[in-house]
Amino acid sequence: MSSISALNNVHSKGQFGDFEGKDDKNLLSISETTNLLIVQIVQYKSSNSSLDNMQVDGLNLEDNPSSVSSNDNTRILWNGPRNWFLVSKKKEILNEIEKKFNDNEFAVTDISHSKVIIEIEGKEAKEVLKKGCPYNFGELEKNQCLNSTYNGMSVTIDMVNDDPDKFRIFGLRSFGESLYHSITDASLEFGYIAK
Amino acid sequence: MTQSYRIETGGLINRNKKISFKFNGVTYFGYEGDTLASALLANGVHLVGRSFKYHRPRGFFGAGVDEPYAVVQLYRNGETEPNIKATEQELFEGLEASSVNCWPSVNFDIGAINNFLKIFLPAGFYYKTFMWPKSFWYKIYEPFIRKAAGLGVASTKHDKERYEHKYEYCDFLIVGSGPSGLASAYSAAKNGAKVILAEDKPRYGGSLLTSDVNIGNQSGKDWADGIISELKEMPNVSVKNRSQVFGYYDHNMLVMSEKVSDHLPKTKKYHPNKRLWYIRAKEVLISSGSIERPIVFGNNDTPGVMLSSAAKEYLKVYGVLVGKKPLVFTNNDSGYETAIEFKKHGVDSIVLDSRSNPQSEIIDEAKNLGINIKNSYVVVAAQGYKKVKSADVATISEDKKTLGKIENIICDCICVSGFWTPTIHLASQSGNKTKFNEEIDAFVPGVSKQNESTLGAANGVFTLEETLKTSFDKGKELSKKITEKDNEVSIPNVVEKKYSKHDKFWCVPLPKGKNYKRFLDFQNDVAVSDVEIALREGYRSIEHVKRYTTLGMATDQGKTSNLNGLQLVSEIENKVVPSVGHTTFRPPYTPISIGAIVGREVGKHSKPTRKSPIHNWHEEHNAVFVDAGVWLRPRYYKKGNETLFEASKREAKNVRTNVGVCDVTTLGKIDVKGPDAAEFLNRVYTNAWLKLPVGKARYGVMLREDGVVMDDGTTTRISENHYHMTTTTAQAANVLSHLEYYLQLVWPELNVNVVSTTEQWAGAAIAGPKSRDLLKKLFPKTDVSNEGLPFMGYVEGDLFGVKARIFRISFSGELAYEVNVESDNGRFMWEKIIELGEEFQIQPYGTEALSTLRIEMGHVAGSELDGRTIPYDNALEGLLSKKKDFIGKRSLRRTAFVAEDRQRIVGVVPLDKKTSIPEGSHLVKDASAPLPNKKLGHISASCWSVEHDNPFSLAILKDGKNMIGEKLFVMSPLKNKVIPVEIVSSHYVDPKGERVRS
Amino acid sequence: MRSQNEFSYGGDATVKRPEINKEVTDQEWDNFVYNRVSPRGKHLELWQHLSGCRQWIKVERDTATHEIFNTYKANEEIA
Repeated sequence: MSSISALNNVHSKGQFGDFEGKDDKNLLSISETTNLLIVQIVQYKSSNSSLDNMQVDGLNLEDNPSSVSSNDNTRILWNGPRNWFLVSKKKEILNEIEKKFNDNEFAVTDISHSKVIIEIEGKEAKEVLKKGCPYNFGELEKNQCLNSTYNGMSVTIDMVNDDPDKFRIFGLRSFGESLYHSITDASLEFGYIAK
Repeated sequence: MTQSYRIETGGLINRNKKISFKFNGVTYFGYEGDTLASALLANGVHLVGRSFKYHRPRGFFGAGVDEPYAVVQLYRNGETEPNIKATEQELFEGLEASSVNCWPSVNFDIGAINNFLKIFLPAGFYYKTFMWPKSFWYKIYEPFIRKAAGLGVASTKHDKERYEHKYEYCDFLIVGSGPSGLASAYSAAKNGAKVILAEDKPRYGGSLLTSDVNIGNQSGKDWADGIISELKEMPNVSVKNRSQVFGYYDHNMLVMSEKVSDHLPKTKKYHPNKRLWYIRAKEVLISSGSIERPIVFGNNDTPGVMLSSAAKEYLKVYGVLVGKKPLVFTNNDSGYETAIEFKKHGVDSIVLDSRSNPQSEIIDEAKNLGINIKNSYVVVAAQGYKKVKSADVATISEDKKTLGKIENIICDCICVSGFWTPTIHLASQSGNKTKFNEEIDAFVPGVSKQNESTLGAANGVFTLEETLKTSFDKGKELSKKITEKDNEVSIPNVVEKKYSKHDKFWCVPLPKGKNYKRFLDFQNDVAVSDVEIALREGYRSIEHVKRYTTLGMATDQGKTSNLNGLQLVSEIENKVVPSVGHTTFRPPYTPISIGAIVGREVGKHSKPTRKSPIHNWHEEHNAVFVDAGVWLRPRYYKKGNETLFEASKREAKNVRTNVGVCDVTTLGKIDVKGPDAAEFLNRVYTNAWLKLPVGKARYGVMLREDGVVMDDGTTTRISENHYHMTTTTAQAANVLSHLEYYLQLVWPELNVNVVSTTEQWAGAAIAGPKSRDLLKKLFPKTDVSNEGLPFMGYVEGDLFGVKARIFRISFSGELAYEVNVESDNGRFMWEKIIELGEEFQIQPYGTEALSTLRIEMGHVAGSELDGRTIPYDNALEGLLSKKKDFIGKRSLRRTAFVAEDRQRIVGVVPLDKKTSIPEGSHLVKDASAPLPNKKLGHISASCWSVEHDNPFSLAILKDGKNMIGEKLFVMSPLKNKVIPVEIVSSHYVDPKGERVRS
Repeated sequence: MRSQNEFSYGGDATVKRPEINKEVTDQEWDNFVYNRVSPRGKHLELWQHLSGCRQWIKVERDTATHEIFNTYKANEEIA
């Protein structure tokens, strides 16, 4: 059985753009991230349950705009009031989630297949984002996230690391080719390695 | 060729780098750091173009953004671009340019005949001529005007350059790197604020590059260089040259165009030629300086007549003499600076000062240098056709109305100074209501509407000392509020000459018996006489005068003409200038390249595209795609040389005979969860939902509050509090927003979550009499018999190791199923369906066949649910619950909605069973009735019925329920068709709906 | 502060939908569905943050100058 990722046939490895004469370390690196569990968790308005003791993979759900709770495997992104995206390498925790968050108070929806995820890393990564997204990236720090648009396509941007800056850009799967083109095109000026 | 007007040493150009370029086919030499204008002037070239209307010879007037004449066609790297100002284009090796608006050449231009016809071509002639006879317009007048008009030629080649955009934020955006920009940037930066300093030109310093001042014991220029070096070292400062802030928009957002490579022969690969910055600043400081105002006199458009400050700039910055026998005509002290600068390089000039007895430091300096000064003198007219040869001058009375005897002075250029006009465009664009300053006779910014301040000359402050002080203070004061730092900045000592008062005089009267053209707007050829005509004809408002005469409407947007125009109007109308007002300033400040505005949204990627996970399979199998909004969907799968018609007929027939498969991934899917989900669906849909059992699907229709059908779809109860809703492709996003609206704003007490899962699942519709047989092969372990999976049922299955959802629903009216798998497995599912379907003669079908099938079944879709029809019109009134309230129900009681002869969906068949009926055409009772012919209805969708093998259409027809069997006519004036038709039931195939239940 | 292109306009925020299942007169219903005041000046509007948190918010905006005075959450009471 063959499963196909969002950027199958779109993402190809190599060095592109103005990369000549530059050290690999000084180039941006762009890759597709696949095979993650992505779950939307929403707490209904009438639910008064405290989230303090409800942890998934040891992480709490923080109801703070732009917040991200994270460990090596799992990142929980704030997606709106009482609304989170849980992104994890550990697919098996879906069961844990469905058990902990009962369906009278929470809506748990698996949307793992609905996203295209592009990872971009490098010192000019923020400059690439500035070319298509109107958010104030000067204020974005590691372990913060936001929803906005990139060249007209709705995206979620998760700042995974800094020094060098590393971002995960989530878009709708069907926009994969267009989003990949936009991001890589904006990276040509700096030169990038597609991994 | 020698540069005979280049001085031996001096200027800021790089004399070590000689550059060759061509103008009108002739090769010349210049230096790195020249503009095309300065290089041409250095070579003694003064004739650059021909004026727009009269084709009069034109030269250079200014040295920068204020230039109205020297607009050229540029050739660079195999491309051509029109409307480039020679005064702004930096010289690069191999540059080629040519004059515009002249034929065959700028030297001998046939268009000059217009000049002799000028009495017939006054202002407003556009509105009075070319009107009669009417028939002449298309064949004679329009082609003639088309040939005669235009300032350049647009390239018809694809633009190979890259243009990029960037969104940036900062604490301070400072526009202009003259003294006020530098000082404010410095003190703001010292307080740690994030500063962007934008300079339009390649060199920083603004007026400090040409003025004779001392700042802190350094020349103005050296001080500027020092500040820039310091600023460039600060990590919180971004210093951008060749970057023009051209527009001020809402909420302190400004847009800046950065010329990245226009000064180079070629753009670096992968790099942009221009970059557009969308900058949102907490504070904006406008230090855009001021532009010199001309004085208007006879033939003041002759090549060699230019702004005195431009002559000074050509000398100081580029080392170029604009003439060797200059005449300076001034009403203020600025003109003397130019005369002094000429003298420093050994050129004697004569200064004509309109004032009778001005006294100031600079006049003393000029006198000491032995410069010839004549007071109460004016230039009456320039003489010379293609170049100034002399000037007719005279004394003028104190009241400026009477001229003395005309004398003639030999000269080769006339440098005019009429004082200064602050550049207030950005302030005005920001909403600042500018006010007239009587002291300087110009408009300055008034009360700010947004967070902006104007500093220095742009604010009407023409002394350097005051400018520096207020700018250092402003930068410090505003940055302290943002960063809370308060660093001291020492304000340097300033040595400058004090100016005496200018003369309030801008228009030399005509001598008796002479009719010289005195130009106000140089680019559009608008003269004093034209404005006089407009006022005589009754135009009062300055906005009307502008549009009637075209004053200020050229590409220079009146930078050197607006104020003089206003002055003239106010004099004639005996009003004061401020009450005449000025026309509204709109962005852009100067012309901006369209490529820069478009950015990267070009070609294939000019808009985003959505593709299904199965897309590549369709491509590999000859699918021809169609745009469905932003999605690409297969329209048909082309076999051999098939036409669209043949392919779709084949595909549809195969569905009715065997089995077909269609990619329905694009249809909206919404996951609805929550203890109140059923209640919510009950309020949103017109029919009843509370008792839908788990494992069952139901067709639902949702209305807008005005009773019009918004969307339809099938919603399935997956588990007790979990539903899967489908919508049409087109309405998917709207329906989601609609549901969120009601959940957040109207019924927040309901505990329901809605989230789009359109992308989570890939969907395939398997339809046709053999579809169950195929389904059994796909899901050997699941009971998909008629009993196990009844009509409108739902089960979950295992597709060879992949989780699948199976819905027994039908759009085609045949026995059909929809299978969903998670998107990564979409292609796998599709390939399995094709593989196992082979024995059943499966064929994929596209949207064209899909349409055919649903149309002949009488199923409504977007063309009937067009935003105007209610449930009854679509024969869906059976779905309206009588017991419960739902969105839109109340509107259904409207009189028009319950009328007896209300429109309703019907089927339409041409009597000859052959002629196709165009969609959108009208239904009438009698085609030969006189116009207006009463419209009874319209054709909403047409197809070739594969079941009956003739054309068939759906229509919305007045009194539809009583019209079955009637003979009517279809009329399509657009396609020139009149077709006799018969009205039939919209359910042309399987009216009892037996197939879906088989 | 977010860019306008992340949002979508959704109508007049001063209009309240009559309660479900409650009978209203023709005039009351027409007022809700159709009749609107179109002021020049301060106006309370509905916007959805489509490319953001997908929340509906109320925005007090000057229709002539675009100046924004206040924003409120969907169910916040406005003084």
